[in-house]
Amino acid sequence: MRNLLHDMNPAIKFVMVTVVMLGLAFFFNPWTPLLFFFGVICLQLFFSRMDWKIWSLFMLPFTLGAFGYLWTTIVFGAETEGTVIWSLFGFEVTDEQWAVALSLAFRVLAFSSLSLLFALTTDPVRFVMSLMQQLKLSPKIAYGVLVGYQFLPVLKDEFFQIQQAHRLRGAATEKYWWQRLLGIRRVIIPMLAGAVRKAERSAFAMEARGFTGEARTEFYRPVRAGRLDMVMSLVIVALFVGSCVFGVYLSG
Amino acid sequence: MQVPETIFAMNDVSFRFPDDSHQTLSSVTFSINRGERVAISGPSGSGKSTLLYLLNRLYPMNCDGIVKGEIELFGKASELYAPGEINKRVATVFQDPDAQFCMPTVEEELAFTLENMRTPAKEIEKRIDRVLESTGLTHLKYVNIQTLSGGMKQRVATACALVMEPEVLLLDEPISHLDPLTAKEFISWLDLLQRRFGLTVIAVEHRLDSWGAFFDREIAIDRAGNIAEDREFIPHETLHYPARIKSVSDEDSLSAEGLSVTIKDRTLLLPLSFTSKKGECIVIAGPNGSGKSTLVKALCGILKKDSGTVSAHACGYVPQSPEFLFLTPSVSREIAFSGTSSAQELEELMESLRLAEIAEHNPFAVSHGQKRRVAIGAMLADKRNILFLDEPTSGQDQRALLELFHLIEERLISGDTVFIVTHDMEFAASVADSVLLLKEGHLSGMFPAEQIWEETDLLAEHNLLPPKGVMQLAESPA
Repeated sequence: MRNLLHDMNPAIKFVMVTVVMLGLAFFFNPWTPLLFFFGVICLQLFFSRMDWKIWSLFMLPFTLGAFGYLWTTIVFGAETEGTVIWSLFGFEVTDEQWAVALSLAFRVLAFSSLSLLFALTTDPVRFVMSLMQQLKLSPKIAYGVLVGYQFLPVLKDEFFQIQQAHRLRGAATEKYWWQRLLGIRRVIIPMLAGAVRKAERSAFAMEARGFTGEARTEFYRPVRAGRLDMVMSLVIVALFVGSCVFGVYLSG
Repeated sequence: MQVPETIFAMNDVSFRFPDDSHQTLSSVTFSINRGERVAISGPSGSGKSTLLYLLNRLYPMNCDGIVKGEIELFGKASELYAPGEINKRVATVFQDPDAQFCMPTVEEELAFTLENMRTPAKEIEKRIDRVLESTGLTHLKYVNIQTLSGGMKQRVATACALVMEPEVLLLDEPISHLDPLTAKEFISWLDLLQRRFGLTVIAVEHRLDSWGAFFDREIAIDRAGNIAEDREFIPHETLHYPARIKSVSDEDSLSAEGLSVTIKDRTLLLPLSFTSKKGECIVIAGPNGSGKSTLVKALCGILKKDSGTVSAHACGYVPQSPEFLFLTPSVSREIAFSGTSSAQELEELMESLRLAEIAEHNPFAVSHGQKRRVAIGAMLADKRNILFLDEPTSGQDQRALLELFHLIEERLISGDTVFIVTHDMEFAASVADSVLLLKEGHLSGMFPAEQIWEETDLLAEHNLLPPKGVMQLAESPA
């Protein structure tokens, strides 16, 4: 049970998540995104081996963002119609304003939790392979992304090495963050110079092994789409429709 | 007797890159028979890799190069091959172990080749198992490639080439990023495979001395891109370095007392102590992951030391890629960056490192040897007279090695101290006054260079090969 979200076909999962997100954008009441947010958490509870510590860490900035939306809409919102429900420090908050603020905040939560559901249950390599096999993404792009993905740890290493070398030369001792940000430019240039060379070598190596960029017909580990994907898609759609119906009902 | 079958033939072939005014290869004529083992040698930039890329059709397609003359591959004109067609019969292994793979695991990487070949899915698993067995890599099937050592990555790259059951194996400086011991193991492994598969092997190489008697034939290319020689292969002697005049003074330059490094609860370096003198050259050697880089970075103050003291003048560090140090768009500004030295001193320094002629060049755009000189210049201009060179010999041809030798010698004579991290014991034997051997973060000791080369067991414990020219060296006057 707890592996279902991980096993789901990544391309189908991607399409479902995208469609639901677009759909969610049409509901302006606060209840729909709130219900959906809790629904997503339940999905993850039952169908995934989510590492909740990582999830909380990722959710933290989004939660702060959501609170920011809530706060700014209440304080600075142009909408002042409706009845005043409470007032604080000279601010008068109307019911309509409150509803808009909540709706915006919950939307942030709903969108971010859904994105995390996808990101934290999907293996990037399998996702790219699935995009190539199910959604007919060009192998040139797919394998390009995969090579880039393999380079990430190497680039990270190089980044630190260059930074250390620059520090030795007394170049990276800027006090303020904006100076440091500008200083990154100096690290990026040697790194990019190396990356371009590496990229060319990789391209040669791939071509020498018969890679032409044509669509392929045979797959060693085909990423399949089957009944499970249908069921899981239905579950996601049901959650979406359910949140919409109840959301509209509760706010109506 | 069987008539040898010609598989590759070049007739009066010239090659020019569209942006160059000179020919990279000019009127090259030769043919290669099935089953031959051919070495293509020549100095850096002589067009030997270009020659190889004409055989696997990477060129002229990828560089819009201009080819004149006839190239026949397996009796068919090379331009008649469809993209990817020749790569089923001619496989290539490249030099950079880090830039040949696109998938996470060995198994998937092998499958990538087979999918390109449109091998039926049912066959793929069988072929993967077969090639892993014949190359002795079965235990690596599910291993993540990025966790492997350079030597193992090169073996995996070779397996990826062999999995398509090619007739010809092209090697583009396959050992230039490997240390000598790993390189030696790789070559004997390759020897076995060549016999088993009856492959034709064509290798571009500038370190032919490491290959023993592997090849039967050598095609030497000169700087102008002509074939200088095409002859039977004779094992190459190791590069002879000139004898060095000792310049060790009595004055201490650096002394470490109980130095240790711990990062995130992992002890990378156990407490160690040693002293170096001015004008001394110290080689730091040991297996991969033995703490060589950690030691260097701790001495230079890049890494924080856990305990102990280092008393030294400022230390300078030259990474394996010297461009990591560069901060400005011109060599002269690069040297003057810190503003520690006076204009007079800078001028003398530029002169002694032969940087005056490239003073206005961009340091990223000069040759590798020049980059290293710029880096050393920048360090010396900061009054960092203890130099640490990280793997300066890796991937260098003979001329570059000799140039490096002289550069180090000059620095030693002017009283600087030079530490070199290297696996290349021939080079070490030619420059070192003493050797620091490290193993698993522990300093086995600091040995005088004259003694250590005969202690074969001690060297073997540290994954090192004794230098090949050691006997002659022992006889030559010190």
